[in-house]
Amino acid sequence: MTLLEALEKFVSECNQNERLRAMNRDWTRRIQLEPDDTHRTHHLVSEAGIVSAGSGPVDNPDMLIQAPEAILTAVFSGQMTPTEPYNAGDLLVKGHQDDIMRLDILSLLIWGE
Amino acid sequence: MFSESPIMAVYNDVHRMGRLVKTVVSVSLGSRQRDHEATLTLLGETVAVRRQGTDGNLEAAVNLIQALDGQVDAIGLGGIDRYLVVRNRRYEIQDAARLAQAAVKTPVVDGSGIKDTFERALIESLHEDGVIAPGQTVLMVSSMDRFGMAETFERLGYQLVAGDLIFASHIHYPIRTADELEELARKLLPSWVRLPFHQLYPVGDAQVSDADPRFHEYFDAADIIAGDFHYIRRYMPETLAGKVVITNTTTPEDVALFAAKGVRLLVTTTPVLAGRSFGTNVIEAALVAVSGVQSGDPDWGAVVARAGLQGTRRQLNANPRGGAS
Repeated sequence: MTLLEALEKFVSECNQNERLRAMNRDWTRRIQLEPDDTHRTHHLVSEAGIVSAGSGPVDNPDMLIQAPEAILTAVFSGQMTPTEPYNAGDLLVKGHQDDIMRLDILSLLIWGE
Repeated sequence: MFSESPIMAVYNDVHRMGRLVKTVVSVSLGSRQRDHEATLTLLGETVAVRRQGTDGNLEAAVNLIQALDGQVDAIGLGGIDRYLVVRNRRYEIQDAARLAQAAVKTPVVDGSGIKDTFERALIESLHEDGVIAPGQTVLMVSSMDRFGMAETFERLGYQLVAGDLIFASHIHYPIRTADELEELARKLLPSWVRLPFHQLYPVGDAQVSDADPRFHEYFDAADIIAGDFHYIRRYMPETLAGKVVITNTTTPEDVALFAAKGVRLLVTTTPVLAGRSFGTNVIEAALVAVSGVQSGDPDWGAVVARAGLQGTRRQLNANPRGGAS
Protein backbone atom coordinates (compact mmCIF):
# COMPACT_ATOMS: atom_id res chain seq x y z
CA MET A 1 0.00 0.00 0.00
CA THR A 2 1.34 3.45 -0.87
CA LEU A 3 1.02 6.43 1.43
CA LEU A 4 -1.55 8.00 -0.89
CA GLU A 5 -3.63 4.82 -0.83
CA ALA A 6 -3.45 4.76 2.96
CA LEU A 7 -4.56 8.40 3.13
CA GLU A 8 -7.44 7.77 0.73
CA LYS A 9 -8.54 4.84 2.86
CA PHE A 10 -8.34 7.05 5.97
CA VAL A 11 -10.34 9.80 4.25
CA SER A 12 -12.99 7.35 3.10
CA GLU A 13 -13.38 5.95 6.63
CA CYS A 14 -13.68 9.47 8.07
CA ASN A 15 -16.23 10.68 5.56
CA GLN A 16 -18.42 7.58 5.78
CA ASN A 17 -18.57 7.73 9.57
CA GLU A 18 -21.43 9.87 10.83
CA ARG A 19 -19.87 10.31 14.25
CA LEU A 20 -16.55 11.48 12.81
CA ARG A 21 -18.31 13.89 10.48
CA ALA A 22 -20.12 15.33 13.49
CA MET A 23 -16.87 15.65 15.42
CA ASN A 24 -15.15 17.41 12.53
CA ARG A 25 -17.97 19.72 11.50
CA ASP A 26 -16.19 22.77 12.95
CA TRP A 27 -12.63 21.58 12.21
CA THR A 28 -10.98 23.20 9.20
CA ARG A 29 -7.30 22.33 8.94
CA ARG A 30 -4.53 21.71 6.41
CA ILE A 31 -2.18 18.91 7.37
CA GLN A 32 1.07 18.24 5.54
CA LEU A 33 2.79 14.85 5.72
CA GLU A 34 6.52 14.92 5.12
CA PRO A 35 8.22 11.52 4.82
CA ASP A 36 11.72 12.19 6.11
CA ASP A 37 13.21 9.42 3.97
CA THR A 38 11.48 9.62 0.57
CA HIS A 39 10.53 13.32 0.83
CA ARG A 40 7.34 12.62 -1.18
CA THR A 41 5.04 15.14 0.49
CA HIS A 42 1.30 14.45 0.85
CA HIS A 43 -1.53 16.29 2.53
CA LEU A 44 -4.89 16.00 4.23
CA VAL A 45 -7.45 18.80 4.28
CA SER A 46 -10.43 18.88 6.65
CA GLU A 47 -13.25 21.29 5.93
CA ALA A 48 -16.66 21.35 7.61
CA GLY A 49 -16.61 17.68 8.47
CA ILE A 50 -15.29 16.39 5.16
CA VAL A 51 -11.69 15.25 4.78
CA SER A 52 -9.73 14.99 1.52
CA ALA A 53 -6.23 13.75 0.67
CA GLY A 54 -3.71 14.31 -2.09
CA SER A 55 -0.09 14.25 -3.18
CA GLY A 56 2.14 17.26 -2.86
CA PRO A 57 2.32 20.09 -0.33
CA VAL A 58 -0.52 22.30 0.86
CA ASP A 59 -0.48 26.07 1.34
CA ASN A 60 -0.02 27.33 4.88
CA PRO A 61 -0.31 24.00 6.72
CA ASP A 62 -1.71 24.03 10.26
CA MET A 63 0.10 20.82 11.11
CA LEU A 64 3.25 19.05 9.91
CA ILE A 65 3.73 15.32 10.40
CA GLN A 66 7.21 13.90 9.80
CA ALA A 67 8.19 10.22 9.87
CA PRO A 68 9.58 7.56 7.55
CA GLU A 69 7.05 6.90 4.78
CA ALA A 70 6.48 3.33 5.92
CA ILE A 71 5.45 4.55 9.38
CA LEU A 72 3.12 7.19 7.96
CA THR A 73 1.57 4.54 5.73
CA ALA A 74 1.19 2.15 8.66
CA VAL A 75 -0.39 4.81 10.88
CA PHE A 76 -2.91 6.03 8.30
CA SER A 77 -3.84 2.52 7.20
CA GLY A 78 -4.51 1.43 10.77
CA GLN A 79 -1.65 -1.03 11.06
CA MET A 80 0.01 1.00 13.80
CA THR A 81 -1.37 3.42 16.39
CA PRO A 82 0.19 6.89 16.33
CA THR A 83 1.16 6.53 19.99
CA GLU A 84 3.72 3.82 19.30
CA PRO A 85 6.03 5.75 16.90
CA TYR A 86 5.25 9.02 18.71
CA ASN A 87 6.51 7.67 22.04
CA ALA A 88 9.52 6.12 20.28
CA GLY A 89 10.44 9.45 18.68
CA ASP A 90 9.88 8.14 15.14
CA LEU A 91 6.86 10.36 14.51
CA LEU A 92 7.26 14.11 14.85
CA VAL A 93 4.16 16.26 14.86
CA LYS A 94 4.28 20.04 14.76
CA GLY A 95 1.04 21.82 15.43
CA HIS A 96 -1.48 22.67 18.10
CA GLN A 97 -1.85 20.01 20.78
CA ASP A 98 -5.63 19.92 20.24
CA ASP A 99 -5.16 19.09 16.56
CA ILE A 100 -2.65 16.37 17.37
CA MET A 101 -5.07 14.81 19.84
CA ARG A 102 -7.92 15.02 17.34
CA LEU A 103 -5.96 13.23 14.65
CA ASP A 104 -5.09 10.55 17.20
CA ILE A 105 -8.76 10.23 18.14
CA LEU A 106 -9.85 9.93 14.51
CA SER A 107 -7.40 7.14 13.79
CA LEU A 108 -8.28 5.30 17.01
CA LEU A 109 -12.02 5.56 16.38
CA ILE A 110 -11.55 4.18 12.88
CA TRP A 111 -9.11 1.43 13.76
CA GLY A 112 -9.02 1.25 17.56
CA GLU A 113 -9.56 -1.95 19.60
CA MET B 1 13.97 18.97 46.56
CA PHE B 2 11.45 17.55 48.97
CA SER B 3 12.62 17.69 52.52
CA GLU B 4 11.07 14.98 54.62
CA SER B 5 10.20 17.43 57.33
CA PRO B 6 6.62 18.37 56.36
CA ILE B 7 5.43 14.80 56.08
CA MET B 8 7.40 13.45 58.96
CA ALA B 9 6.29 16.41 61.06
CA VAL B 10 2.71 15.16 60.79
CA TYR B 11 3.84 11.62 61.49
CA ASN B 12 5.89 12.64 64.50
CA ASP B 13 3.31 15.08 65.84
CA VAL B 14 0.61 12.46 66.08
CA HIS B 15 2.97 10.06 67.80
CA ARG B 16 4.02 12.75 70.25
CA MET B 17 0.36 13.17 71.11
CA GLY B 18 0.57 9.72 72.60
CA ARG B 19 -1.91 8.16 70.21
CA LEU B 20 -0.99 5.53 67.70
CA VAL B 21 -2.72 6.77 64.58
CA LYS B 22 -2.51 5.75 61.00
CA THR B 23 -0.75 8.09 58.63
CA VAL B 24 -1.66 8.64 55.00
CA VAL B 25 -0.06 10.93 52.44
CA SER B 26 -1.63 11.88 49.15
CA VAL B 27 1.10 12.54 46.60
CA SER B 28 -0.46 14.74 43.97
CA LEU B 29 0.60 15.86 40.52
CA GLY B 30 -1.50 18.94 41.24
CA SER B 31 -0.45 22.36 42.40
CA ARG B 32 1.30 22.79 45.75
CA GLN B 33 -1.05 25.69 46.35
CA ARG B 34 -3.71 23.15 47.36
CA ASP B 35 -1.61 21.31 49.97
CA HIS B 36 -3.31 20.66 53.30
CA GLU B 37 -3.45 18.28 56.21
CA ALA B 38 -6.09 17.06 58.62
CA THR B 39 -7.21 14.11 60.67
CA LEU B 40 -10.25 11.96 60.03
CA THR B 41 -11.88 9.02 61.75
CA LEU B 42 -12.76 5.90 59.80
CA LEU B 43 -13.94 2.59 61.22
CA GLY B 44 -13.22 3.96 64.70
CA GLU B 45 -9.59 4.81 63.98
CA THR B 46 -7.96 8.19 63.63
CA VAL B 47 -6.01 8.82 60.46
CA ALA B 48 -3.64 11.73 59.89
CA VAL B 49 -3.80 12.72 56.24
CA ARG B 50 -1.70 15.11 54.24
CA ARG B 51 -1.76 16.18 50.63
CA GLN B 52 1.53 17.08 49.00
CA GLY B 53 1.46 18.53 45.50
CA THR B 54 4.37 18.24 43.09
CA ASP B 55 3.29 20.86 40.52
CA GLY B 56 3.01 18.28 37.76
CA ASN B 57 6.56 17.01 38.22
CA LEU B 58 6.37 13.24 37.76
CA GLU B 59 9.97 12.63 38.82
CA ALA B 60 9.45 14.61 42.02
CA ALA B 61 6.36 12.51 42.73
CA VAL B 62 8.34 9.29 42.22
CA ASN B 63 11.05 10.54 44.59
CA LEU B 64 8.50 11.52 47.20
CA ILE B 65 6.75 8.15 47.05
CA GLN B 66 10.09 6.38 47.41
CA ALA B 67 10.84 8.52 50.47
CA LEU B 68 7.46 7.73 52.02
CA ASP B 69 7.59 4.00 51.28
CA GLY B 70 7.57 2.11 54.55
CA GLN B 71 7.17 5.32 56.55
CA VAL B 72 3.40 5.74 56.27
CA ASP B 73 0.44 3.35 56.28
CA ALA B 74 -0.89 4.13 52.79
CA ILE B 75 -0.15 6.48 49.93
CA GLY B 76 -2.78 8.05 47.68
CA LEU B 77 -2.13 9.14 44.12
CA GLY B 78 -3.68 12.56 43.56
CA GLY B 79 -4.21 14.44 40.33
CA ILE B 80 -3.87 11.20 38.40
CA ASP B 81 -5.82 7.97 38.17
CA ARG B 82 -4.00 4.68 38.00
CA TYR B 83 -7.03 2.76 36.82
CA LEU B 84 -9.93 3.84 34.64
CA VAL B 85 -12.68 1.31 35.26
CA VAL B 86 -15.22 1.23 32.44
CA ARG B 87 -17.78 -1.53 32.82
CA ASN B 88 -15.89 -4.80 33.02
CA ARG B 89 -12.59 -3.41 31.75
CA ARG B 90 -9.82 -1.74 33.69
CA TYR B 91 -7.28 0.45 31.90
CA GLU B 92 -4.00 1.26 33.64
CA ILE B 93 -2.36 4.64 33.03
CA GLN B 94 1.35 3.95 32.62
CA ASP B 95 2.60 7.09 34.32
CA ALA B 96 0.46 6.23 37.35
CA ALA B 97 1.70 2.65 37.36
CA ARG B 98 5.22 4.01 37.48
CA LEU B 99 4.32 6.14 40.49
CA ALA B 100 2.68 3.22 42.27
CA GLN B 101 5.65 0.97 41.63
CA ALA B 102 7.92 3.49 43.34
CA ALA B 103 6.65 2.05 46.63
CA VAL B 104 7.39 -1.57 47.47
CA LYS B 105 6.24 -1.72 51.10
CA THR B 106 3.37 0.74 51.45
CA PRO B 107 0.12 0.26 49.52
CA VAL B 108 -0.52 2.93 46.88
CA VAL B 109 -4.11 3.64 45.82
CA ASP B 110 -5.72 6.06 43.37
CA GLY B 111 -9.33 6.44 44.50
CA SER B 112 -10.85 4.32 41.75
CA GLY B 113 -11.99 1.85 44.42
CA ILE B 114 -14.09 4.62 45.97
CA LYS B 115 -15.38 6.01 42.70
CA ASP B 116 -16.68 2.69 41.49
CA THR B 117 -18.47 1.83 44.72
CA PHE B 118 -19.35 4.78 46.92
CA GLU B 119 -20.06 7.28 44.15
CA ARG B 120 -22.72 5.02 42.65
CA ALA B 121 -24.42 4.85 46.04
CA LEU B 122 -24.16 8.61 46.50
CA ILE B 123 -26.05 9.31 43.27
CA GLU B 124 -28.70 6.79 44.27
CA SER B 125 -29.15 8.53 47.63
CA LEU B 126 -29.49 11.98 46.01
CA HIS B 127 -32.09 10.49 43.68
CA GLU B 128 -34.01 8.70 46.43
CA ASP B 129 -34.03 11.83 48.60
CA GLY B 130 -35.48 13.90 45.74
CA VAL B 131 -32.48 16.23 45.67
CA ILE B 132 -32.22 15.51 41.95
CA ALA B 133 -34.96 14.25 39.66
CA PRO B 134 -35.16 11.92 36.65
CA GLY B 135 -35.30 13.73 33.35
CA GLN B 136 -32.84 16.36 34.46
CA THR B 137 -29.79 16.88 32.27
CA VAL B 138 -26.45 15.94 33.80
CA LEU B 139 -23.22 17.32 32.38
CA MET B 140 -20.40 15.04 33.47
CA VAL B 141 -17.27 16.96 32.55
CA SER B 142 -15.32 13.71 32.56
CA SER B 143 -16.83 10.25 32.73
CA MET B 144 -14.20 7.71 31.82
CA ASP B 145 -12.73 8.25 35.30
CA ARG B 146 -16.18 8.04 36.91
CA PHE B 147 -18.00 5.54 34.77
CA GLY B 148 -19.95 4.21 37.76
CA MET B 149 -21.46 7.63 38.35
CA ALA B 150 -22.33 8.08 34.67
CA GLU B 151 -23.90 4.65 34.46
CA THR B 152 -25.94 5.29 37.60
CA PHE B 153 -27.30 8.59 36.30
CA GLU B 154 -28.37 6.93 33.06
CA ARG B 155 -29.93 3.92 34.79
CA LEU B 156 -32.01 6.22 37.00
CA GLY B 157 -33.42 8.14 34.03
CA TYR B 158 -31.26 11.25 33.78
CA GLN B 159 -30.20 12.77 30.45
CA LEU B 160 -26.48 12.12 30.35
CA VAL B 161 -24.05 14.42 28.57
CA ALA B 162 -20.51 13.11 28.98
CA GLY B 163 -17.97 15.79 28.14
CA ASP B 164 -14.81 13.72 27.90
CA LEU B 165 -14.05 14.70 24.31
CA ILE B 166 -15.22 18.27 24.85
CA PHE B 167 -13.11 19.16 27.85
CA ALA B 168 -10.11 16.84 27.44
CA SER B 169 -9.73 17.22 23.66
CA HIS B 170 -11.79 20.31 22.79
CA ILE B 171 -13.96 18.41 20.33
CA HIS B 172 -17.59 19.53 20.23
CA TYR B 173 -19.01 16.06 20.61
CA PRO B 174 -21.20 15.28 23.61
CA ILE B 175 -21.41 11.57 24.46
CA ARG B 176 -25.01 10.81 25.40
CA THR B 177 -25.10 7.19 26.53
CA ALA B 178 -23.04 4.94 28.77
CA ASP B 179 -22.87 2.43 25.92
CA GLU B 180 -21.21 4.97 23.62
CA LEU B 181 -18.91 6.03 26.43
CA GLU B 182 -17.88 2.41 26.90
CA GLU B 183 -17.31 1.98 23.15
CA LEU B 184 -15.16 5.11 22.97
CA ALA B 185 -13.19 4.01 26.03
CA ARG B 186 -12.57 0.62 24.44
CA LYS B 187 -11.17 2.29 21.33
CA LEU B 188 -9.28 5.21 22.85
CA LEU B 189 -8.01 4.18 26.25
CA PRO B 190 -5.66 1.31 25.33
CA SER B 191 -3.59 3.86 23.40
CA TRP B 192 -4.17 6.90 25.59
CA VAL B 193 -3.03 5.24 28.81
CA ARG B 194 0.45 5.01 27.26
CA LEU B 195 0.69 8.76 26.62
CA PRO B 196 2.46 11.12 29.03
CA PHE B 197 -0.26 11.97 31.54
CA HIS B 198 0.07 15.73 31.10
CA GLN B 199 -1.28 15.28 27.56
CA LEU B 200 -4.48 13.81 28.95
CA TYR B 201 -5.23 15.93 31.98
CA PRO B 202 -4.15 19.32 33.37
CA VAL B 203 -1.42 18.96 35.99
CA GLY B 204 0.50 21.49 38.07
CA ASP B 205 -0.05 25.10 37.04
CA ALA B 206 -2.46 24.04 34.29
CA GLN B 207 -4.91 23.26 37.11
CA VAL B 208 -5.03 26.88 38.16
CA SER B 209 -5.11 28.39 34.68
CA ASP B 210 -7.58 31.08 33.67
CA ALA B 211 -11.24 30.34 33.09
CA ASP B 212 -12.11 29.20 29.57
CA PRO B 213 -15.87 29.42 29.07
CA ARG B 214 -15.91 28.53 25.34
CA PHE B 215 -18.05 25.44 25.99
CA HIS B 216 -20.58 27.32 28.12
CA GLU B 217 -23.61 25.97 26.24
CA TYR B 218 -23.14 22.53 27.79
CA PHE B 219 -23.17 24.06 31.26
CA ASP B 220 -26.11 26.31 30.41
CA ALA B 221 -28.20 23.33 29.26
CA ALA B 222 -27.47 21.21 32.34
CA ASP B 223 -29.40 21.00 35.61
CA ILE B 224 -26.62 19.03 37.27
CA ILE B 225 -22.87 19.40 36.71
CA ALA B 226 -20.77 16.51 37.93
CA GLY B 227 -17.22 15.23 37.87
CA ASP B 228 -13.70 16.47 38.13
CA PHE B 229 -13.39 19.78 39.95
CA HIS B 230 -10.54 21.15 37.86
CA TYR B 231 -12.46 20.73 34.62
CA ILE B 232 -15.53 22.36 36.16
CA ARG B 233 -13.54 25.31 37.50
CA ARG B 234 -11.69 25.88 34.26
CA TYR B 235 -14.61 25.65 31.84
CA MET B 236 -17.59 26.92 33.84
CA PRO B 237 -19.33 30.02 32.50
CA GLU B 238 -20.06 33.31 34.23
CA THR B 239 -23.20 32.00 35.89
CA LEU B 240 -24.29 28.62 37.23
CA ALA B 241 -27.52 29.96 38.68
CA GLY B 242 -29.74 27.25 40.09
CA LYS B 243 -27.40 24.37 39.23
CA VAL B 244 -26.48 21.39 41.35
CA VAL B 245 -22.74 20.66 41.33
CA ILE B 246 -21.43 17.24 42.35
CA THR B 247 -17.64 17.11 42.76
CA ASN B 248 -14.90 16.90 45.36
CA THR B 249 -11.50 18.31 46.37
CA THR B 250 -13.06 21.71 46.95
CA THR B 251 -11.51 24.30 49.25
CA PRO B 252 -13.38 27.10 51.08
CA GLU B 253 -12.32 29.44 48.24
CA ASP B 254 -13.80 27.05 45.68
CA VAL B 255 -17.06 26.91 47.61
CA ALA B 256 -17.19 30.71 47.69
CA LEU B 257 -16.60 30.77 43.93
CA PHE B 258 -19.50 28.37 43.33
CA ALA B 259 -21.72 30.44 45.59
CA ALA B 260 -20.84 33.60 43.69
CA LYS B 261 -21.68 31.86 40.43
CA GLY B 262 -25.17 31.11 41.75
CA VAL B 263 -24.80 27.36 42.33
CA ARG B 264 -27.85 26.21 44.28
CA LEU B 265 -26.49 23.04 45.86
CA LEU B 266 -22.92 21.77 46.15
CA VAL B 267 -22.58 18.05 46.75
CA THR B 268 -19.16 16.70 47.59
CA THR B 269 -18.62 13.01 47.12
CA THR B 270 -16.16 12.82 49.98
CA PRO B 271 -16.38 14.19 53.54
CA VAL B 272 -15.51 17.81 54.23
CA LEU B 273 -12.90 18.29 56.92
CA ALA B 274 -11.42 21.63 57.89
CA GLY B 275 -13.41 23.18 55.05
CA ARG B 276 -12.08 20.88 52.33
CA SER B 277 -13.46 17.84 50.65
CA PHE B 278 -10.74 15.31 50.16
CA GLY B 279 -9.85 13.49 47.00
CA THR B 280 -11.14 9.96 46.61
CA ASN B 281 -7.53 8.75 46.73
CA VAL B 282 -7.19 10.13 50.27
CA ILE B 283 -10.34 8.39 51.44
CA GLU B 284 -9.34 5.13 49.79
CA ALA B 285 -5.83 5.33 51.28
CA ALA B 286 -7.28 5.99 54.73
CA LEU B 287 -9.64 3.03 54.41
CA VAL B 288 -6.80 0.77 53.29
CA ALA B 289 -4.69 2.02 56.20
CA VAL B 290 -7.30 1.19 58.85
CA SER B 291 -8.74 -1.99 57.32
CA GLY B 292 -5.82 -3.59 55.53
CA VAL B 293 -8.26 -4.38 52.73
CA GLN B 294 -7.65 -3.09 49.20
CA SER B 295 -10.10 -2.41 46.39
CA GLY B 296 -9.25 -5.60 44.52
CA ASP B 297 -10.15 -7.73 47.56
CA PRO B 298 -13.55 -9.42 47.75
CA ASP B 299 -14.28 -7.67 51.07
CA TRP B 300 -13.71 -4.17 49.68
CA GLY B 301 -17.38 -3.39 49.06
CA ALA B 302 -18.24 -4.42 52.62
CA VAL B 303 -15.44 -2.27 54.03
CA VAL B 304 -16.66 0.78 52.09
CA ALA B 305 -20.22 0.15 53.29
CA ARG B 306 -19.10 -0.37 56.89
CA ALA B 307 -17.11 2.88 56.82
CA GLY B 308 -20.38 4.77 56.43
CA LEU B 309 -18.83 7.36 54.14
CA GLN B 310 -20.85 10.51 53.84
CA GLY B 311 -20.61 13.10 51.16
CA THR B 312 -21.89 16.55 51.98
CA ARG B 313 -24.73 18.69 50.66
CA ARG B 314 -24.39 22.44 50.98
CA GLN B 315 -27.13 24.80 49.91
CA LEU B 316 -25.28 27.81 48.52
CA ASN B 317 -28.18 29.77 47.04
CA ALA B 318 -31.95 29.64 47.05
CA ASN B 319 -33.71 27.67 44.34
CA PRO B 320 -34.53 30.30 41.67
CA ARG B 321 -37.69 28.35 40.79
CA GLY B 322 -38.78 28.24 44.40
CA GLY B 323 -39.92 25.03 46.07
CA ALA B 324 -37.86 22.38 47.72
CA SER B 325 -34.13 22.52 47.36
